[in-house]
Amino acid sequence: MPVPILKQGGILIASIQTAVTDQDLVQLQDDLADKVGRFRSRGVVIDVGALDVMDSFATRTLRNLAQALKMRGATTVIAGIQPDVAFAMVELGLTLDGILTALDLEEGLGMLTMPPQEDGHSVG
Amino acid sequence: MASDQATLQGMIDYDIDRRKRFVDFKPEDASRIVAIKGLVERHADEHAAAFFNYLSQFEEAVMLFRNPDMLREAKRLKHEHLLAMVSGEYGKTYIEQRVLLGALYSRAGLDSRVFLGAFHQLMQSIGRKIADMFASDAQAAFQHFASVNKIGFMDIGIIVDVLIAERERTIRTQEKAILELSTPALQIRDRLLMLPIIGLLDSLRAKQLTDSLLHSIRAARAKVVVMDITGVAAVDSKVANHLIQTVTAARLMGTQVIVTGLSSEVAQSLVALGVDLSKINTVGDLQGGIEEAERALGYKVVTVSEPAAQRARL
Repeated sequence: MPVPILKQGGILIASIQTAVTDQDLVQLQDDLADKVGRFRSRGVVIDVGALDVMDSFATRTLRNLAQALKMRGATTVIAGIQPDVAFAMVELGLTLDGILTALDLEEGLGMLTMPPQEDGHSVG
Repeated sequence: MASDQATLQGMIDYDIDRRKRFVDFKPEDASRIVAIKGLVERHADEHAAAFFNYLSQFEEAVMLFRNPDMLREAKRLKHEHLLAMVSGEYGKTYIEQRVLLGALYSRAGLDSRVFLGAFHQLMQSIGRKIADMFASDAQAAFQHFASVNKIGFMDIGIIVDVLIAERERTIRTQEKAILELSTPALQIRDRLLMLPIIGLLDSLRAKQLTDSLLHSIRAARAKVVVMDITGVAAVDSKVANHLIQTVTAARLMGTQVIVTGLSSEVAQSLVALGVDLSKINTVGDLQGGIEEAERALGYKVVTVSEPAAQRARL
């Protein structure tokens, strides 16, 4: 099942569901790179809150995706990594360096609509 | 004490045949023991007295003698033991009785060296009677005593097993208690957690700490965590790696971690070790860390009294 991509103002939201295959992730990368250009989006939030496993392929794809979207002019935020998933990723050395992360979708959207200012960002 | 027995069950080997094999106990040993059965039974009180009188002179056994109930129970079990020892029949019940006695010694805090010494006195007491009985035949006396000795060594094996098992269980209980105590994640502002780490940080604890922190982050929807390591006794490259892992895992959840409380010695030794802490946001002390976190969250702390005083002057 391909990952649905929703448009919310200048931001694209992709919510990855539990049953996601490697093929779906590659498809998501293509779709997002395409849509970011078409909708002239400046931010993308990828919600992985439903995933209870993140393997090295998924992590690498997400990292590539973020870097590709950066080149297309959009900032990517990975939102909702579960505690156990985060722990397992660190143990496997998958640290998503240089990529923005957020607690959940709401938080991720907040980061993109209200980028951190000089004196820190606002609460809530 | 029923629960004591139940937990000991899993830790002690109840296979009597294995135990007999270990001490080379053969059918002829059983028949020799039956031959001296009456002798030992008649002098059972004397043998038991040899054991307890010897024990009583050591302060390592003082706890047993201070508790009359415990002592009475120990004497009863010891008497039972002597009778069972020469019964010639050794089954699962035999081991269970020995375990019961061992558990009692353990509760009394009996030192294993003192126990071994006293047990030797008991065997000697039995040995003397056997020597008297076979006064004309030294060879037979020796053989009969050797057979009883085999059972004696088997008993020592069981008692020592119990003493070790009890000690291990104490250690395990304490380890569990330490783990449960060790890592509270405290909320000090909306979306701001504080994690004071105290004591030794080994792999197991680091794992448990990271795990509990990540779940607390989720529950409190924390945006910033201040991790204070003032109380961590030794920070080496291993501990630093654990900290880096914790910080990275929290970052994956979108939370910023500020590490505070690195003393000058720790900082210098980490630099000397070549540990790269550049990925971690460190602040000198806890106060500075909390201030930094408040800035990141957009809080501004103002004193109430001063502006009020100024307003009054105007």
